[in-house]
Amino acid sequence: MKVALDAKRCQGHARCAAFAPETFVFDDEGFSRVREGFENVKPELQEKVRRACTNCPEGAITISG
Amino acid sequence: MTDTKTLVQNFDFHGEALDSIFATYKELREKCPVGHSDKYGGFWFLTKSDDIFKVEQDPETYSVRPTMLVPPVADFPMIPIDTDPPELTEYRRILLPLFTPQSLAKMEGPVRDVARDLAKKFVESDSTDATAMFARALPTIFFSRLAGFPEKDWPKFDAWVDDILYERTKDPKRAKAAEKAVVDYFENLIAAYKGRTTQEANTGTIIDYLLEAKVNGKPLTKDELLSYCYLMFLGGLDTTAWAIRASLWYLAQDLKAQRYLREHPEAVPTAAEEFLRTMSPVQAMGRTCKVDTTIRGQKIKAGERVVLLFGAGNRDPEVYDNPEEIQIDRQDNKHLAFGAGHHRCLGSNLGRRELVIALEEFLKIVPEFTLGDLSEKWHGVGRLTLNIKK
Ligand code: HEM
Ligand code: SF4
Repeated sequence: MKVALDAKRCQGHARCAAFAPETFVFDDEGFSRVREGFENVKPELQEKVRRACTNCPEGAITISG
Repeated sequence: MTDTKTLVQNFDFHGEALDSIFATYKELREKCPVGHSDKYGGFWFLTKSDDIFKVEQDPETYSVRPTMLVPPVADFPMIPIDTDPPELTEYRRILLPLFTPQSLAKMEGPVRDVARDLAKKFVESDSTDATAMFARALPTIFFSRLAGFPEKDWPKFDAWVDDILYERTKDPKRAKAAEKAVVDYFENLIAAYKGRTTQEANTGTIIDYLLEAKVNGKPLTKDELLSYCYLMFLGGLDTTAWAIRASLWYLAQDLKAQRYLREHPEAVPTAAEEFLRTMSPVQAMGRTCKVDTTIRGQKIKAGERVVLLFGAGNRDPEVYDNPEEIQIDRQDNKHLAFGAGHHRCLGSNLGRRELVIALEEFLKIVPEFTLGDLSEKWHGVGRLTLNIKK
């Protein structure tokens, strides 16, 4: 499973961080990105990342594979 | 029963209309998901979650000018809420660093201290009004400190907010007078900030951030500063108070949920999202069409107003199973309580944490409580009478 974040859509709701703090990091203005090395989601983080995706109000997170 | 046409034409989302608004939304969503009300100079309303998201994410077609508020709450454009990109982005950038997850982590302790203190005072006092003692007091104390509004002025705040936000549809004169009082207040406060000696200067409050800010290389003008302060005042206080009050109002009547959350504080954040979804403090915000457009088959002309009914979208059966039910363990919840897109509530993550911490501390300290006056409504920041099991 792979995760990607569309920076143009992200509006900084920080829901992703609430569900999957390991996978998402924030810049100084509060916008999210996928932590380096976490693009391929480890099995133990997959459920959390799935929830981050379904709870992101902007549809900025996509999951594939 | 009023017929659908009358319901649509007279549709309102302020004051007493809120008493039964969820039934109204349901009927509108089913029979007229995009309709036109004659109130407030006339506006189109959207009840479907999908339509609302699309408008939020499309500032090219939908402007917030002249104002997002329907009806207006100021006779000047409020910053940042009444500005479009690219200015909007510049204005937001000033305060964004204050509300990142990193910054919010530092506020946890101070918010919790205030919440705990207030909950203890509420239990010890003879008062039964949880709004005055707790729901309103928490944001007044915590947010005012963060913003840099001096403590001696706090007692004046509630009446100003009530007059501007809740009396404006009933008594516009009174709202106008309060608007002027708040503008004058901030004019004096900003002057006092500017007159500080260097030793007293910059304590990292919101006002400090605004005074230090540069937009396109220039500091904010006096009007810009006033406008930003005015909006923070209206946006930061009563919204959070409403969210806390509404959550307690609900829990006072659902003792099973109250007991569950008391025993499982780790479940409070998920429950808080559900309270925000179903009892959103901001039921709607407006936009203006910049060009002719079509939403769900309905033609809307350039210049016409469109009201996004967040409260209706939040109960859209296409998005939520059993949308009218408050399920404190609801898993997928991308509600619109804080809006979305470029104008996503700047304080959303602060508001959320204040709500979660308020509920955690209240449940920890206050024994089982029930609603003392069944005539009190879910909405607003009026009295909330709680009977505590002694
Ligand atoms: C539970 C509490 C709160 C709720 C429900 C709430 C709700 C909202 C909503 C619905 C909007 C309009 C978003 C849109 O049109 O897409 C908004 C905007 C805004 N809110 Fe909040 N709010 C809350 C707390 C706060 C707090 C604590 C602050 C203080 C920092 C704040 C500051 C703002 C600002 C500055 C805007 C304008 C953003 C913009 O136009 O770019 N809000 N809020
Ligand atoms: S939840 Fe979505 S919009 Fe919000 S910060 Fe995460 S990715 Fe961005």
